[in-house]
Amino acid sequence: MPALIKMTLRILLNRVKTDTLLKKNMTKFIKKEDLYKLLNSFLKDFEIIGPKQIANKGIFYEPLESIEDLYLGELFAIEPAKKFFLESSECLFHSGFLDGKATVQDAPLPDKRRIIIGLRPCEAKGLILLDKVFDSEYKDRSYINNREKSVIVGLACAKPDKSCFCTSMDGSPTGSRGMDVLLFAVEDGFIVEIYSDKGKEAFSSLGKEPDEHQNKTLSAYKQKRSELIGKNFKVPGDLSPIFESDYWDKVSFPCLSCGVCTYLCPTCHCFELVDEGRKMYRCNDGCAFSNFTLEASGWNPRPTKKERYRQRVFHKFDYFKKIFGENLCVGCGRCIRHCPVKMDISEIVSNAPSGAGK
Amino acid sequence: MIEELRNKARELLKTKQVEAVIGYQRASDGLSAIPCVIRSEEEAGRLIWDAACVYNLCGYLKDFRAKKLGIVAKACDVRAMIVLISENQLNRDDVFIIGMECCGVVDEKRARVSGRDGSDISSADKCKSCASCVPLAYDCLIKEKREKAKVSEDADKDKYEPVRKLEAKSLSEKSKSWKDEFKRCIRCYACRQVCPMCYCPRCVADQFMPVWFSKAGGIEGNFSWNVARAMHLAGRCIDCGECERACPVGIPLRDINRKIEKDIKELFGYEAGMKTDAKPFLACFDKNDPEDFIK
Amino acid sequence: MINPRTQELKNSRAESWEPKIAAFLCNWCSYAGADLAGTSRREYPPNIRIIRLPCSGRVNPLFVLKCLMDGADGVLIAGCHTGDCHYSEGNYYARRRFAILKKLFEFLGIDPRRFQMAWVSASEGDKWVKVVKELVEEIKKAGPILAKS
Repeated sequence: MPALIKMTLRILLNRVKTDTLLKKNMTKFIKKEDLYKLLNSFLKDFEIIGPKQIANKGIFYEPLESIEDLYLGELFAIEPAKKFFLESSECLFHSGFLDGKATVQDAPLPDKRRIIIGLRPCEAKGLILLDKVFDSEYKDRSYINNREKSVIVGLACAKPDKSCFCTSMDGSPTGSRGMDVLLFAVEDGFIVEIYSDKGKEAFSSLGKEPDEHQNKTLSAYKQKRSELIGKNFKVPGDLSPIFESDYWDKVSFPCLSCGVCTYLCPTCHCFELVDEGRKMYRCNDGCAFSNFTLEASGWNPRPTKKERYRQRVFHKFDYFKKIFGENLCVGCGRCIRHCPVKMDISEIVSNAPSGAGK
Repeated sequence: MIEELRNKARELLKTKQVEAVIGYQRASDGLSAIPCVIRSEEEAGRLIWDAACVYNLCGYLKDFRAKKLGIVAKACDVRAMIVLISENQLNRDDVFIIGMECCGVVDEKRARVSGRDGSDISSADKCKSCASCVPLAYDCLIKEKREKAKVSEDADKDKYEPVRKLEAKSLSEKSKSWKDEFKRCIRCYACRQVCPMCYCPRCVADQFMPVWFSKAGGIEGNFSWNVARAMHLAGRCIDCGECERACPVGIPLRDINRKIEKDIKELFGYEAGMKTDAKPFLACFDKNDPEDFIK
Repeated sequence: MINPRTQELKNSRAESWEPKIAAFLCNWCSYAGADLAGTSRREYPPNIRIIRLPCSGRVNPLFVLKCLMDGADGVLIAGCHTGDCHYSEGNYYARRRFAILKKLFEFLGIDPRRFQMAWVSASEGDKWVKVVKELVEEIKKAGPILAKS
């Protein structure tokens, strides 16, 4: 099974890369007030986007006007930070008349640099997976611009909840893939691990070397976090033998065909193009919607929930893995937490019947 | 109560009175419920009934058109079915309603947002103004044997009190607060999919020419979507609260729907979901309808 | 077709802003009444953009919503007086529908002056002029709908 070997090698190589990077790079301790002061000083040159707590509603990433609003606590943001890279609705180009001639112009790209702070390791890993689609053979103009203009300052998870399963998706609550800088909340401050040049540029000026006690706290932290993840399962190797199984009929029954799981997923990236008043917009779309595959002829190859739910599972745990080597899932648990009918994709995948035939 | 429910389901399936029973089973987290369909007597053991059975199951009826089905239903769910029957979307004879005497369901939303694990058993907001634990229509009733929780204690209070409070705000306050709410809408349409009354095969939101609810930046599209959905539910919404529960970003949808419900009740004396032979509100008129707003 | 909203945004920021009001008129009564105002050479503000429909009952609340969202500063619906509808009942349905919509708009923070309804019969050219003049005055006071966005 050369594909499996290739996949394993790719994953190991990534791990090795990150570990060596860590050794080469900086670790600092910074007090909470000093971090906030530092971020405040960045406000004039950067847009600072971070989690904000909205009473009774939850945590949302928003451009912050005042650093006081920044929330770096235990609760997770409802929407992942994906929307700042692959925007949920953006103008791609517009057509019009210039000097009497019909023209099509690309929409201007934003110029301002930004710091996106408070991302969890699962969300940052999601960006790495999205890079495989939007920044490899095909280069997406606005996605790449957003990636280049952003410094990603993550926050390691202090308290995973019962829907999290990042460890089954080859991730961890303290993972550093995709991060420029990663913060670990400790007593009265944060230990800051800096992995990239972008991160160095922003953070190397402040803070001091962590002392021994803090280093010990950090190792214990890293060790214990993964143990807090309750869900643990192995993704089946190859799902294609059970494509026709009526298992999908049974498990897809509760699905409402709404867009919550796809829109809140850090890795889902399907979109539709909508023409509005001579501007072409790329808007996010979800494979769960009943008319996602509705063709102009009126034929819909995925007419019922069975086909659509099966598609979702296969895209994430079979097709993407076969093409890019990793599951298109980071185990953040948002789809489970916010599904209006509490469908649990991790249970559905781990209980899938094995083997060929029915 | 659970055993009575399971036995009833077994009986219905054994005597072939129904082809399947739609009910609730335990979700993978061990606390919540998840909708399920039972097709044989052996499976009836999966059915559960407790305060976690929040969902309105009427939406699954359309998966089984022209077949006789059993459905586990609370009082609010039955009102939804009454509206569907009055709109010819459901045949009363095609459904065997297993009425459950309900003492209230959990407010899982509050539990989730505050980070607790969902074992918070305080009642959902909608239950506090519920007038009756017993459904208006049923083919068999499974009674609650425990002491009733305080569901109906507040039912005498003005159900529309929160709406009146919001109405009392100034125009600019209202405008700002609703803009802040609709700014968060991600157009996932969970509110539409979970609503038993939203059954249009092709929703107006999915139309292209014209695009009624723009996604082109700004808040106009989100505002239009929520207003249009509220108007399409005028005189049909029975306040099951599912839309607000399903909304991932916490938009107070019940406030909008209850505002319309209140206006319809106070101006026209009409309440949805009470009689199966009632004519839909906007499909009829009275010569004496108020017209003080017309010049 | 230029994106209507962008155009309206530009207009609303101009010094010389004039409100743009969409008006849905029923063919048999109010459109005829407006026409009578015209043939009688009555003057009234040009801010009204008339859309002719068979009946006020044809107006879908979505039309009103889309006009306001695309930048119309106000919307007017004019129809036959109750009892006089050419199709017997259309205006009764409209009356119910828009009673609800009007209250909903106010609840959600839209200035109630921006959405109005009037019964104008075919012989009421004078009333048409009065309705339009008052409406334009009120919308001018309410300001451009896109002012703050």
